[in-house]
Amino acid sequence: MIRMEHLDYYPILRDICADFGPGELVGLVGPNGAGKTTLLRAVAGLLRPTGGWVRVMGEPIHARKPGWRARHVAYLPQFLPDDIPFTVREFVEMGRYSHAPRGALTPSDVRAVDEALEAMGLQPLEDASLAQISGGERQRAAIARCLAQEAPILLLDEPIASLDIHYQLDILARLRALAAEGRLVIIALHHLELALSHCHRTLCLHRGRLVADGSPDEVFTPALLRAVFRVDARPFRDPHTGALRLSVSAAIPSTPE
Amino acid sequence: MRGRRAWVFAALGLAILISAALEVGIGPVSVPFWQIPTDTVRYLVGDRGLDDVVVGAIRWPRLAVALLAGSSLALSGCVLQAVLRNPMADPGVIGVSSGGALGAVIAVATGLSSRLSAATPALAFGCGLAVAVIVYRLATHGRRTDVYRLLLAGVALGSLCSAVITAILDLSPLQEMQQMMFWLFGSLDGSDWREAFLLAAVNAVVLPVFLRFGFAYDILTTGEEHAEAVGVDVERVKRVSLGLAALIVGVAVSTTGVISFVGLIVPHILRRVMGANHRPLLAASAMGGGVLLTLSDFVGRTAVQPAELNVGIVTSCLGVPFFLYLLFRRGRGRGAWR
Repeated sequence: MIRMEHLDYYPILRDICADFGPGELVGLVGPNGAGKTTLLRAVAGLLRPTGGWVRVMGEPIHARKPGWRARHVAYLPQFLPDDIPFTVREFVEMGRYSHAPRGALTPSDVRAVDEALEAMGLQPLEDASLAQISGGERQRAAIARCLAQEAPILLLDEPIASLDIHYQLDILARLRALAAEGRLVIIALHHLELALSHCHRTLCLHRGRLVADGSPDEVFTPALLRAVFRVDARPFRDPHTGALRLSVSAAIPSTPE
Repeated sequence: MRGRRAWVFAALGLAILISAALEVGIGPVSVPFWQIPTDTVRYLVGDRGLDDVVVGAIRWPRLAVALLAGSSLALSGCVLQAVLRNPMADPGVIGVSSGGALGAVIAVATGLSSRLSAATPALAFGCGLAVAVIVYRLATHGRRTDVYRLLLAGVALGSLCSAVITAILDLSPLQEMQQMMFWLFGSLDGSDWREAFLLAAVNAVVLPVFLRFGFAYDILTTGEEHAEAVGVDVERVKRVSLGLAALIVGVAVSTTGVISFVGLIVPHILRRVMGANHRPLLAASAMGGGVLLTLSDFVGRTAVQPAELNVGIVTSCLGVPFFLYLLFRRGRGRGAWR
């Protein structure tokens, strides 16, 4: 569904090659400033690569019209203003812009909005003002807006940062369910353990380069954790759940470069 | 919210009728409200007494210009607030009105306006648009438009335009100077039907485009990044909206001079009472702007009789406290849109 061919975005991203297919929940990890957000924006077609291509469904996405992009790729930026003067339902309806740019929603638009609200468990809150609900609920509303776009590809930038542990696990479980329905879901993540336990595949960016791409247990080696994240850590199986966890012991002091 | 909107529109319709009756009926020559229709008919059929001429030739065109110029200012304020994602935006505050006034003064001072009557609104539009583009460019870094840079750049360019206007006035013969003075502080004196028709035509072209962008304006309240992500062509919406906002403000300023704060106050109050959905909000702003400007003109004409205050002074007296209130309420951490 997505193919990156020697993608460059000078000076942030360098020579990134990867392919993604349907049904995957992909975790994009890397330290601050590694280029995760820029990579997602490039895949969403919101910036023009300085070299190489991002093809979505075979098409170079940055060259397509905004409406086409939004119908194929739903991108959720990291920060959402907290003063949006609309209700949850009105906000989710905004996801239909690429289908109904004048705002006149047809029955199929309304159905898509209803399904998106249902998938995120938001029907009880649909008439609540976005400014009044909790951060976790707002994030679910934002994901519902992406779902309303009915795009086969979802790109979410830090969708669980600043949420409490309940909402983190709740949202990851919902994203896994979406992947199981055949969507491609790519999320940028800071929580390495959650990437390890929930994602099918992990990509690790470091200083704009793709340094690892594979299943979480292949990617999170002690050597990579040391070199990229500058921590002493090793993965282990949780004796209670059988899931992969990280045992982190210490931050490695920064060395002058 | 939907039932409330119906009430808001009903109230605005009533307010237009009341402000029209006050504007047409009251002044140095007062006409009782119930005589306005008969006076109007008598003026139209040519059987004219003093009352009939005052009503037909002076007050009706003045009312039409007040309603339409007010509607232009409120519409452009509403649209600027949406595309600049800043509830403090107003054509006066960001300097577009002063730019427009400068264009109009240049047209008169160079004598272009006496040779070609369209020169005044055209130059007003051109200069207003130029200011809008410069202010927007100065305030935009990369893809972000900074609120404070926008306001400061607007204030700076607005002052520059006012200074140039004053310089032109200083260098002009006394008679021309008096003729041009009103552009600094707007006035509805001498409004005529030609001006009213021009304003009506421009509003009729611009309002449907703004309404078409209504959903995109709603989405822009969530931020430009989010708007792009759901497929809004943000640059195109911004460019077309800024251009058309400068057009209606330029034409309004070329007929009435600089009238500040109508574009700030009206959309703000209406957003509070009827919500931020832009299609009803734009329609209501057009009505509310007309009402506010008409009532302000009525107050200006009658408050200190027999003298008359320029309507721009009245709107500034209302607008400055409102502006400061918004500024300080924002400072205390309240959301910008509520």
